[in-house]
Amino acid sequence: MALIYSFIVLLLASYINADKETLVLLDNLAIRETHSIFFKSLTERGYSLVFKPVDDSNLVLAKYGQYLYKNLVIFSPSVEEFGGSLSVEAITKFVDDGGNILIAGSINSGDVLREITAECGFEVDEEGAAVIDHLNYDVLDQGKHTIIVADTANLIDAPMIVGAKKTSPFLFRGTGLIADKENPLVLEVLTASSTAYSYKPDSPIEEYPHAVGKNTVLIAALQARNNARVVVSGSLDFFSDEFFSSPVEKALGGQKYPKSGNQDLSDSLTKWVFKEEGVLRVGKVSHHKAGEKDAPQYYTIMENMVYEIEIEKLSKDKWVPFDAKDIQLEFVRIDPFVRTVLKSGADGVFRTEFKIPDVYGVYQLKVDYTRVGYTFLNSATQVSVRPLEHTQYERFIVSAYPYYASAFSMMGGVFLFSILFLHYRTTEETKKKSE
Amino acid sequence: MATSVTAKPASKSKTKSKATLLNALGYKSLLTFTILALACIAGFASRLFAVIRFESIIHEFDPWFNYRATAYMVQHNFYNFLNWFDDRAWYPLGRIVGGTVYPGLMITSGSIHYILHALNIPVHIRDICVFLAPVFSGLTALATYFLTKELWSSGAGLMAACFIAIVPGYISRSVAGSYDNEGIAIFALMFTYYLWVKSVKTGSVFWATLTALSYFYMVSAWGGYVFIINLIPLHVFVLVLMGRFSNRIYTAYTTFFILGLVLSMQIPFVGFQPVRTSEHMASLGVFALINAVAILRYLQSKLSSSEIKYVFTIGVLIAGAAVLGVVVLLTYAGVIAPWSGRFYSLWDTGYAKIHIPIIASVSEHQPTTWFSFFFDLHILVVTFPVGLWYTIKNINDERVFIILYAVSAVYFAGVMVRLMLTLTPVVCVLSAVAFSRLLEFYLKEEESSSKGGDSSDNDENDEKGLYDKAGKLKKMKHEQQKENEAEQGLGINVRSFVVVAVMMMLMMFAVHCTWVTSNAYSSPSIVLASYGQDGSRQIIDDFREAYYWLWQNTRDDARIMSWWDYGYQIAGMGNRTTLVDNNTWNNSHIALVGKAMSSNESEAYKIMTNLDVDYVLVIFGGVIGYSGDDINKFLWMVRIAEGEHPKDIQESNYFSERGEFRVDSEASQTMLNCLMYKLSYYRFGDMKLDFRNPAGFDRTRNAVIGQRSIDLTYLEEAYTSEHWLVRIYRVKKPHEFNRPKIEKGERRFINKSFVSKKTAKKKKGTIKNRPVVIRGQRPSDQ
Repeated sequence: MALIYSFIVLLLASYINADKETLVLLDNLAIRETHSIFFKSLTERGYSLVFKPVDDSNLVLAKYGQYLYKNLVIFSPSVEEFGGSLSVEAITKFVDDGGNILIAGSINSGDVLREITAECGFEVDEEGAAVIDHLNYDVLDQGKHTIIVADTANLIDAPMIVGAKKTSPFLFRGTGLIADKENPLVLEVLTASSTAYSYKPDSPIEEYPHAVGKNTVLIAALQARNNARVVVSGSLDFFSDEFFSSPVEKALGGQKYPKSGNQDLSDSLTKWVFKEEGVLRVGKVSHHKAGEKDAPQYYTIMENMVYEIEIEKLSKDKWVPFDAKDIQLEFVRIDPFVRTVLKSGADGVFRTEFKIPDVYGVYQLKVDYTRVGYTFLNSATQVSVRPLEHTQYERFIVSAYPYYASAFSMMGGVFLFSILFLHYRTTEETKKKSE
Repeated sequence: MATSVTAKPASKSKTKSKATLLNALGYKSLLTFTILALACIAGFASRLFAVIRFESIIHEFDPWFNYRATAYMVQHNFYNFLNWFDDRAWYPLGRIVGGTVYPGLMITSGSIHYILHALNIPVHIRDICVFLAPVFSGLTALATYFLTKELWSSGAGLMAACFIAIVPGYISRSVAGSYDNEGIAIFALMFTYYLWVKSVKTGSVFWATLTALSYFYMVSAWGGYVFIINLIPLHVFVLVLMGRFSNRIYTAYTTFFILGLVLSMQIPFVGFQPVRTSEHMASLGVFALINAVAILRYLQSKLSSSEIKYVFTIGVLIAGAAVLGVVVLLTYAGVIAPWSGRFYSLWDTGYAKIHIPIIASVSEHQPTTWFSFFFDLHILVVTFPVGLWYTIKNINDERVFIILYAVSAVYFAGVMVRLMLTLTPVVCVLSAVAFSRLLEFYLKEEESSSKGGDSSDNDENDEKGLYDKAGKLKKMKHEQQKENEAEQGLGINVRSFVVVAVMMMLMMFAVHCTWVTSNAYSSPSIVLASYGQDGSRQIIDDFREAYYWLWQNTRDDARIMSWWDYGYQIAGMGNRTTLVDNNTWNNSHIALVGKAMSSNESEAYKIMTNLDVDYVLVIFGGVIGYSGDDINKFLWMVRIAEGEHPKDIQESNYFSERGEFRVDSEASQTMLNCLMYKLSYYRFGDMKLDFRNPAGFDRTRNAVIGQRSIDLTYLEEAYTSEHWLVRIYRVKKPHEFNRPKIEKGERRFINKSFVSKKTAKKKKGTIKNRPVVIRGQRPSDQ
């Protein structure tokens, strides 16, 4: 059986083997203290964190072609150049090889972060620009209206990424992100409210801001086609102890929440970005004729075919059966000939039975399950469908009876005529049809 | 067979030379036998150039499929072959091989293989396939001998056998390694014609049945059987028109037609075509007509002669009109398929180019040039009309046949190069007649007493109709007079001069045939040879090198996209799945591949992912000056693609402003950006072949390419053969375009150019506004 989806399996396999090695790059080690709750929760979940100043001259992601880390946290907004062997190219290659990144920017984000994010399909607003919201700022704000309150309503509707329904709004201070609208893989996890914009808070507005209203993305995410995940937040303070524990209250009236939703959201986000959540894999794929057990070399047209696929989900470092009602199977020969829903049975085995159409050819049995928050699930199995063999056609069909009759009457006629010819003597030579 | 061959001329000669009766019999049969054996051996030997120069290998394109199919049949059994569904061709449509192939070739070599193995002679099936066509050329020589003997004389037969054995027009399709249908079909054709002539002569059911069986073999071997099933009815029809209808013809035709019809329908590929298509309707019509004529002739015997004339004419007219009317009506109703496109292109040479570019794109479907008539037939092309003239002068039933064959074959050969093949045998037969007449005439000096001797050869047939004899006798007298006059006028010097001149011509013919065979028709075309200035030979084996690479380095189910010419070779040598191949049964699929080749990269990528293409293979001859490469075929791809997708592909976009097809800097943008151009010339702009020409000089088209720096986004070069003849590219999978990044030019924030401060030793990074930690103050506020 062709494992076309082997890259997924490989990826997942490497995931299981790898420890939860995480490299944390910081502007300075003080951030380790100011964001201690965030790092503590990661450590509690089993991650082994390696803290390094971002300009450390010994920074290295891979050794001898093997990655030392599975995850990368870049909490160093003002970096201009990475130390050691790290560079934008090294980091994008890390993503292309399946590594996950969590990036936090700030008002003073460096160009190198801008380049990394652009490689992933979103851009960080220019240096010095901050998200400003004159209506939804927090009471903590000191007059520039840059500590804004992001409503839970602006959160992406994807429980897999952002966890269960949040109640408290989020505090945010940082720069805005602009997502590439044409990029289908980019997810706008958290956007600002419609009254926000992103601009330099200290200078008068001379040109139209780059991001206005809901186009101002606060937290963006990308799940690359190889299922590597990247989350970029415009604010480093979002993850700080201060914001984690601060109460939230909009300055211009509104409900007061004793604790911001930041920690809650950050937990969900890190679970997603470091692939604790929403990871699926394809197990055994099998197909056979209805009533048989093994896959035949060929199917014949109009036969009934049974297709089974095992799908598992990662839950707390264990693969458990996945359950869904919307997984579809397509039977494709350039175009899909059959599209049917797979019914989930026990042990995460999804199963369906369908009739092969009256068209021969080489078909692909495709399961393409793409849901926001889940890893891309692709499975394609090639089967050949052959036409009827020469013995499989119907033998005696009703419409052929006149021909049978004519054949037999002909035989009888020849027989009679032969008798006639043999026993009737005449002088002239007669010739009739030879048959 | 061989014994009956030798017996016949001997019995004839009995009456001729009374003096040395026993000796003549012995000599004649020995001579006949020796000449035929030598013809077979010469024919076989002259087809071995390719094997000796290169190796025992299957040639060209179609033979590779035939070989693959034969190997499949030998490995599995016949019924599995009949039901073979090939899922590695025409991906993802697949091909029902058993139902779309003429199995005669495979069965022939398969049964030879079986017999040899039953005799414990372990021969590999490849060697049988390689040597099948040369062996069959010997049989063709024998069949031609018999045919000519029936038509004219045994001497002419021997001459015809010698001609057909070495004539280039036939060798072109039957050299060792050219394992194609034509190789055995020409034998089947000649043998069927021999049997048909025999059955017309004898009027026996036995011979007619044999004709039908031989026809059945022909149907199983080659699509050209349509030629037989139209020519024989035409023969009968013309005979009826000429008033030469007889019971012999009636018996022969009705037997042949009914048996042939039923037998031909047994071939799955032919199926119901004999009763459903216009190509076969002539035979059915003639069958009806000949029965009508037979009934009228029966009535003739019952009615008085004044009535009969009237009834006869009216009856024939009504019968003819009725048959035609029924056929037209059925065609109109859709029961009978109208003429196929290939058939139309026989009448209107421009038809294919407009309507079915895929037929016109095949080089062997081009009209024949005068040059190739001479090249393939040499002196025979001149003597052939002479032979035709002699047969017309001495007409009888069976000679009408050869005349019709000659006339129609000449026409068809003029329309398509490929049909040169059907012309060649008749040219050999009629030239042999001409030469035989000539030599008979000029070599007759010693035995002037037996004037009628040579002509008695012609009407040795004892079952000849009365009217034939009458006509013949008249002519004979006429000719005899002429001969006498000529003989008186010719001295011995003139005679010997003419004979020597004829011999010289024949020798030159033999020399020419050998030369053509060795130079033009003995290249396997998958192995190329080039000759250096010092005469040394260089073998260019890029095709096999690349196919071997495919076989060894790609996944077993990898799908290779290439132009259809190379489909069979990829399947045969590389053993990989192909999208289109030389069995051009699905025009729209080929058009899709043509569209991919002629679109730009991103459009092509959509098509390629849709078709699950893993690799793209192109043939590029620019490095070694190989003219049969894909860029030279490219316009056909565009035309075929345009036929199916006129909105996306327009041929005019691929021409330069002056309407030329060029690859240099004057080429149009569409041309420079299409996939085929990119794949052919990728990295070629950096390549400097020699000192006289600049880098990127294409030797095939003698031009410096227009686009020197070619970048590929969706494909990557996987393999390029030694002389760049075959280039293979891997199509990237969607997941390799991992992050659709924002391209540099589309970013809204242009980064300031940052000069790295890192050095080889000091690898410390840079942080701007390096924060100073001051206790009691928030770091982010600064």
